Amino acid sequence: MTAPHPHVDFSGVAVRIGLATILRDVDLAVAPGESVGLFGSNGAGKTTLLRVIATLLRPSGGRAYVLGTDLDSQDRFDIRPRLGLIGHLPALYPELSLLGNLEFSARIAGVPIPAARKALETVGLGLAADRRAGEASHGMQRRVEFAREIMLEPDLLLLDEPHSALDPSAIELVEHIVAGVLERSGAVVLVSHDVARVAPMVTRTAELAGGTVNE
Amino acid sequence: MSDHFWRQALAVARRDLDRERHSGEVAWVTIPFGAIALLLVPLAVGINQDVLERIGTGMLFVVVMLFGVLTAVRRTNIETPAQRDAIALLGVDPVAEFTGKSMATAVLLLVFEVVMGAVAVALYGLDLSGWGWMVLVMPLTAIGLAELGTLSGAIAASVQAGPALVPLLVTPLAVPLLLGATQTVESIGGDGGNLSWLILMVIVVLVLAIVGVITARPLQETR
Amino acid sequence: MTSRRRPSWLDIAAVVAVVGALVFAMTSPRVEAQGDSARMLFIHVPTIWLAYLAFAVTFIASIAYLVTKKLNWDLIAGSSAEIGVVFTTVAIIGGMIWGKATWNVYWTWDARLTLTAIMLFVYIGYLALRRAIPDPEARARRSSVLGILGLVQLIPVHFSVTWWRTLHQTNTFRPRDIQMDGPILAALLISVAAFTVVYVALLRHRYELAQLDLAAHEAAAATEGPVAGDAVSAPSIGSSGA
Repeated sequence: MTAPHPHVDFSGVAVRIGLATILRDVDLAVAPGESVGLFGSNGAGKTTLLRVIATLLRPSGGRAYVLGTDLDSQDRFDIRPRLGLIGHLPALYPELSLLGNLEFSARIAGVPIPAARKALETVGLGLAADRRAGEASHGMQRRVEFAREIMLEPDLLLLDEPHSALDPSAIELVEHIVAGVLERSGAVVLVSHDVARVAPMVTRTAELAGGTVNE
Repeated sequence: MSDHFWRQALAVARRDLDRERHSGEVAWVTIPFGAIALLLVPLAVGINQDVLERIGTGMLFVVVMLFGVLTAVRRTNIETPAQRDAIALLGVDPVAEFTGKSMATAVLLLVFEVVMGAVAVALYGLDLSGWGWMVLVMPLTAIGLAELGTLSGAIAASVQAGPALVPLLVTPLAVPLLLGATQTVESIGGDGGNLSWLILMVIVVLVLAIVGVITARPLQETR
Repeated sequence: MTSRRRPSWLDIAAVVAVVGALVFAMTSPRVEAQGDSARMLFIHVPTIWLAYLAFAVTFIASIAYLVTKKLNWDLIAGSSAEIGVVFTTVAIIGGMIWGKATWNVYWTWDARLTLTAIMLFVYIGYLALRRAIPDPEARARRSSVLGILGLVQLIPVHFSVTWWRTLHQTNTFRPRDIQMDGPILAALLISVAAFTVVYVALLRHRYELAQLDLAAHEAAAATEGPVAGDAVSAPSIGSSGA
C-alpha cells in the first residue's frame, strides 16, 4: 500500500474542446523524482496536456490521476496548492510591483510574507522588487514566476516552454529549480519544442504527436 | 469562517484595490465620466431649478447604477486567463475570491457614489432633508451592485462575448437597488416607508451574497 | 428514421384546448365598460401566466442541474426559458395593443407591465449567455447559475416595482378592474388551462429538439476526427528539412 503512487497517472485520456479533438488516448506516468520532457510541434496539444495535469481542464475521457487524486472528482481542487504551473503567458498583475505580485501569491497560499522577498532575491531580482510588473521585461516576469515556485515548493511542477525569453543565467536557474523539486521527491513535466536545451534537466523524454504521447 | 478564508478574501480585495490605486481607472476615468453625465442632464432637460431638484436624486442613482455596471464589467475584464489559472492553482477558496472581489468593488463604488453625490448636490441644488438615509443607502447600493457585478462577471468569465453580456445581465437585476436607493431617500411622507425600502435593499444584498456563495464553486470550474 | 413525425396526443390536445378556449372567450358576455377589446383578457392573462410558469420551470431545472449534473435538466431549463421569452414578448405586445384600445396609450408605468418588461430583459440575457457558450457542460453550469439568480432576484424586483407604483399611484384607468362575472371567470380559467397544455406540448418539442442537438454534438465529438494538431504541418519553404 505504501508503494509510491506515480504523481501523474494517465491512461487513455482524451480531450475534446467543442468539436475539436485535441488529445486522444494519452498514456503517461510520471513517478516521484522523475522529470519528463514532452516535445511536439506547434499545436500538438502540449499546453492542453499541461492544463489537464494542472486540473484546469477536465479530460473528456480516460482515467486521469494526479498526486493520487482522480481528476474527475471534486477532490481535484484540494491538490491544487501542491501543483505549480508556469505557463507561456505571464500571469502577473501588471499594476502591482514584482514583490507585490509575489506577496499576493504568498497571502493566498498562506506562506509567510517575508518568503516573497527572499525568493525574489534568489532569482536575482532583489533590486527590482519595486518595479511594476507591467514595466518589467518578459524575462524578468518569468523570473518572478520562478520565484513563486521556489517560494511555494510544489510537489509537481509543470513548465510550459521554460526557456522562452530567458538569458543563460536564468536557464541555469530553471535547472536549479527542477533539481530542487526532484530532491524533494517531487516530479516535473516540462513541455518544449527544443529537445537539446531541455535535455540536461529531464530524466526521460516523450513525444506528443497526432494527439497522443509516444514514449 | 476560518482564518484562511478571511486571509484569502482580504488578499483578493487588497490586490484589486492596489491595482486600482496604480491604474487609477475609477479615480481618473469613471468618476470624471460620471460627473460629465450629471452635467449633461440639465443640458438635455433644461435648467429649471425645480425640475433639477426633483429629478436630481434619481439621476444620481441612474448614473451610479450604469457606471457601477461599467466598473463591474471592467473588474472582470482585467483578469486574464493566465491570471485566473494562477490564482486557482494557489488554492484560492472560490467563496473567498467572490467575497474579496465584491469587497473591493464595493469600496470603489462607495467612493464613486460619495463623489457623485457631492457633484449632484452642487449642480442641482438638491434638498438634503432625506439624505441622512444616504449613510445606509450608499453602502447598501455599493455592496449590492458589487455582488451582482462579481457574480455576472464570473458567469461570463472566459466567454468570448462576456464583456458585452455583463451589462445586460446586471442592469435588469439591479432594479430593486435603484428603486430602493431613490425611494428611501425621497420616501413620501416619511411614515416608515423608507424603512421598508431599506429592508428590501438589505434582503437583496443578503440574497445576492447567498447565491454568490452557493454558486462560487461551480462557477470556478471553467470546464 | 421516419421522415415525418405524426403529431402526438399532446399536440392534438393543445390545439383542441386552444380552439375550445377561444370559443368560450368569444361567446362570453361583453364587458360593458370596454366592449370587445376586453376579450384581450383571455389572451393576455394566460400568456403572462405561461411566462411565469416557464421561468419557474427554468429555475427548478437549473437547480436540478446543479444538484445532479445531468445535462437533460439544463436542456429543459433552456427550452423553457425560450418559450417563456416568446410568451413574455407576446404578453407585452398584447398588453400594449390592449392599452392603446382602452386608454389610448401604448405604455403605462403600471407595476405589472414594468415588471414584465424587466423580466423579459433578464431572460433575453439568459438566452444570450446560452448562445455565447458552445460547450454543453460549460453552458449548463454558467446558465444554471443565471437561471437561479434571475428568478430569485425577480422577487425583490416584483416587490420594489409594486411598492413604487403604489407610492406613485395616478388616476389612470386600470384595465384589470374588470368585474369578473361567473362566465367570464370560467372562460378565463379555461383559457389559462388551454395555454398550459400548449406550453407542455411546446416544451416537449423544444426539449426533444435540444436533445437531438446535444446528441448530434456528442456524436460529432465522439467520431475519431482528425486531431486538431494534425492540421499543422512543416512549412513548405523548399528546404529539405532537418
